[in-house]
Amino acid sequence: MLNYRLVAALTLLCAAVFPMATQWAMEPSGSWFRPFVVWALMVFSGYVVQRQRVWDES
Amino acid sequence: MNPETLLAVIGSLAVGGFSAEFLLRLKHPMANALVFNLTLVAGSGVLMAMGGMELAGRYGYTLVIAMIAFTLIFLFSPLIFFPLRRLVEVIKFATLVDFLTFRYRGGAVAKMTCVCLVAASMPLFLAQFFALRSIVEFNFSPQLQSPVMLALVVLIGLIVARAIRSDTASYLSRMMASAGLLLVLAMGATVWLCIDSVFGGVDAMNQWVERSGQTAILRRESPAYSIISIFLVASFALPLNFNLLISNQISDRLSSSTAYVYPLLTLLLCIPVLPILWAGSILEPTFPPQDYLYVLPAVLESEIISGLGTASILLLSLSLLVSLSIMLSRMILNSFVLPDKNFYRQSELDNWIAQRITLSSLLLIVVALLLDTIVAGLSVTDFYLIGFAGLAQLTPGMLAALYLPSVSRRGFLIGLIAGISLWFATLVLPVFSGSWSGFEAYTGVALGMENWHIWSIEALLVNILLCTLFSSFGKMDDEQASYARLCMADNVYVPARVRLDQVSVDEVKLSLQKSLGDSAASEVDSALDELGLNASERRPAALRQLRDQLSASLNLRFGVLAAHRVMQQTLPFRTSIEKQPDDIYLIESMLAIHGGRLTGLASELNKLRVHHREVLDNLPIGLIAIAQSGEILKWNTAIADYTQIDKEVAIGSAIDELAQPWQSFIDDFLAADTPAQDSIKLLVGDQARWFNIQRSVDKNQPELGADRVLLVEEQTQSMMLMQSYMENERLASIGRLAAGVAHEIGNPLTGIACIAQNLRYQREQTPIGKSATQILSQTDRIDRIVKSLINFSRGDSAQCESLETVQLRKIIDEAIDLLSLSYSQRRVEFICTVDPLLHVQSDPQQLIQVFLNLFGNALDASPDDASVTIAAESLGDTVEVAISDSGAGVDENIQHRVFEPFVTSKEPGEGTGLGLWVVFNLMTDLGGSVSLTSPARDSDRGSTAVMRLPCK
Repeated sequence: MLNYRLVAALTLLCAAVFPMATQWAMEPSGSWFRPFVVWALMVFSGYVVQRQRVWDES
Repeated sequence: MNPETLLAVIGSLAVGGFSAEFLLRLKHPMANALVFNLTLVAGSGVLMAMGGMELAGRYGYTLVIAMIAFTLIFLFSPLIFFPLRRLVEVIKFATLVDFLTFRYRGGAVAKMTCVCLVAASMPLFLAQFFALRSIVEFNFSPQLQSPVMLALVVLIGLIVARAIRSDTASYLSRMMASAGLLLVLAMGATVWLCIDSVFGGVDAMNQWVERSGQTAILRRESPAYSIISIFLVASFALPLNFNLLISNQISDRLSSSTAYVYPLLTLLLCIPVLPILWAGSILEPTFPPQDYLYVLPAVLESEIISGLGTASILLLSLSLLVSLSIMLSRMILNSFVLPDKNFYRQSELDNWIAQRITLSSLLLIVVALLLDTIVAGLSVTDFYLIGFAGLAQLTPGMLAALYLPSVSRRGFLIGLIAGISLWFATLVLPVFSGSWSGFEAYTGVALGMENWHIWSIEALLVNILLCTLFSSFGKMDDEQASYARLCMADNVYVPARVRLDQVSVDEVKLSLQKSLGDSAASEVDSALDELGLNASERRPAALRQLRDQLSASLNLRFGVLAAHRVMQQTLPFRTSIEKQPDDIYLIESMLAIHGGRLTGLASELNKLRVHHREVLDNLPIGLIAIAQSGEILKWNTAIADYTQIDKEVAIGSAIDELAQPWQSFIDDFLAADTPAQDSIKLLVGDQARWFNIQRSVDKNQPELGADRVLLVEEQTQSMMLMQSYMENERLASIGRLAAGVAHEIGNPLTGIACIAQNLRYQREQTPIGKSATQILSQTDRIDRIVKSLINFSRGDSAQCESLETVQLRKIIDEAIDLLSLSYSQRRVEFICTVDPLLHVQSDPQQLIQVFLNLFGNALDASPDDASVTIAAESLGDTVEVAISDSGAGVDENIQHRVFEPFVTSKEPGEGTGLGLWVVFNLMTDLGGSVSLTSPARDSDRGSTAVMRLPCK
């Protein structure tokens, strides 16, 4: 069955964080690697979400 | 190619291969996840190794956002791939085309989807050839370039043949994982070399970036949204991504690792892109940015790192060409060849299929090679952008399959054809024939890569628009609607409760042989192994599971279309699948396995289900639920105890598969159409047992052909008690009669004694003869009395063992005679009008007992000088006997209960209330019935006991 809580959490996270993160990453005075930092945070959130899943096989 | 680079290439390939093998042999979850995600990375490896630099050069930071979008579907895999994996667990798809064919149904869908996928994948083939050509052109002199390219094409052919003959998925996975690993190493080594040798360290590089204004260049305006959208959409339809993520060889845990490992690897591959690009802009080699991975190390005189970069691109291109060609060949075969193939006539079917896939793969590679020689002026990035724009056309249909059940085949096909046609006309054709001035004048936008960002999005929008429009009009047929529901993301696959024509595994094998020939038996055996069933299985539910497993297995072997044809020809369902209720047994099994995955209300409902199931299971009476098809849906613990048939064996079986006497017991009751039957005697082994059975119909589902619920209660103990009581009653009757017998025998004996005294003094012959006659008469009378008593007391059991033809009048007379022994003082006349020719099928002893009780009651109720009339008439199969008295009758309040135990109208102490209960049970045993009416027939008083006895 579809995990609606996960979907809702991801959607809310994207909606709330994406504009802010994009603005921060693209600031003219910012370092060139800022977009990669945002990307790394997304990867980390993916890890956290997947770690909390309940596995059928476990 | 200089020897150092050649050695570095060979060494790198060896290191990549061994490292991937080592990681696999570790069998550690993280190592497995790394190998799996490296395989995925390799699927778009050339894009990252070569296209990344070019994309960053063209579009700046758009590369980063595009690559985030490319990996975003993995982060959202619970939305997209997990629902697909749930479906694949039971249906099994070999390819993306099979999934779409399964959802939208029909050969047209398979063929059209396959054509689109092959067409959209062709630019990816060209990108790989472009990459191969680039490294050959950089490393070899012009004279050697053509022979080396030819050798590489031959090598691809050999790898294709080798991969198909071995475990294809495993072979390709190892190869791609090695390529992915080499790419990561090459990118890391190159960026380290560039930063160290060109900039002199990370800080120096950062200062250079600030000074040169590179960040402003990276943030320049570009067609970012088109690239992001197309990358996001295309990654879903990328054949490799789809095949890997839905593969049944990949566990859920491994599949879920793509949510963070794959984006992490992509991130690690993207970070070096900008430093390498900047190093290239300082070094200014004569080669374009897409070649920097192996060119810059060579410029910096690091042949080993250059060889590593060359090796990674070589292996990436080769592995993707091989895997893509095999995947597409499989789709072509499944869509165009196998649906019409007669498998039965084809010997060594698997070899034949492998040969066709090999040939088809080689043909695709040759076609791509020919196109590569025609196409000029495009870069790796261009090929990927064109290919992704084409692949994106399949995504609306795929997402609709999971989330929009209203999208029809017509909408899907029209949208796809329109989208892919626009893509072909605006992005592909201009590559070959230049721009069409007429079309450009009409649209006002130039065709080709120049306006890729416009045409790619427009093709996608046209596709979505037409798909929505044509799906909104017209009604889907039942088959489409049913499969649309089945593919929904939150749907659970539950097969319908339909029956097959075949009733055993052997019959399934025989039927399947008609289509598959000799391979049918092994196919069925492996399906049985997979399900853990044995070959003696006959349960309809198990056979249905076997059919589903076979269907899934054939889906993987031959594709959805061919498998569907084989199943329809050999193992069709008896009735239409759409109209049948769900397979409750399978739902129960699935909920038992996956119940932990439920959340919220669903979880609470599942708890309620478990509670109700336990209540039913633990009921002290047997409960059986039977489908209209005769399949057992419920078999609780009590009935399992009664029958000694385990619920695992019974549930899913047909009633007619049950052991005797249970099959006849249930079948007869279902056929009888009565709400209940009491005290049915069954011989279980050598033991006689009695059961009450009653039915209940689920009135809420009459349209589905309501399931029948039977309640079975064992009555053996109470029946034994009742029989014991009846035996006691009989013995008590004998005791009561014995006193009368003694009295009755006394009279003739006195007579005999008197005659004997007279005889002592008689001398004449005549009086002696007369006296002898009188003695004989008196002894006859004694003989009759004794025989009556013996006849009555002969039975040593109250059970009715066998019925025989009995003269009714004789039995009634005998009962009257017996009764007159104990009621001799009563002046009540028995008037019997029963025809001596009337016969009934009965047990004489039990029938006498019945008459004794009824006559006794009539005598008790009748006043002196009254009469009890006994009449009988034949009613065809039965004989009706009416015993009427002229007593006070039976109180109306207890009339309907007189046959229940301990119910009596006599004064306290005069009757036990068990006489009529005994009569009722004996009559039931004899196959007859008894009723009581008061007042008596044709009278305003008294009562009439009416017995019906079978006479045939």
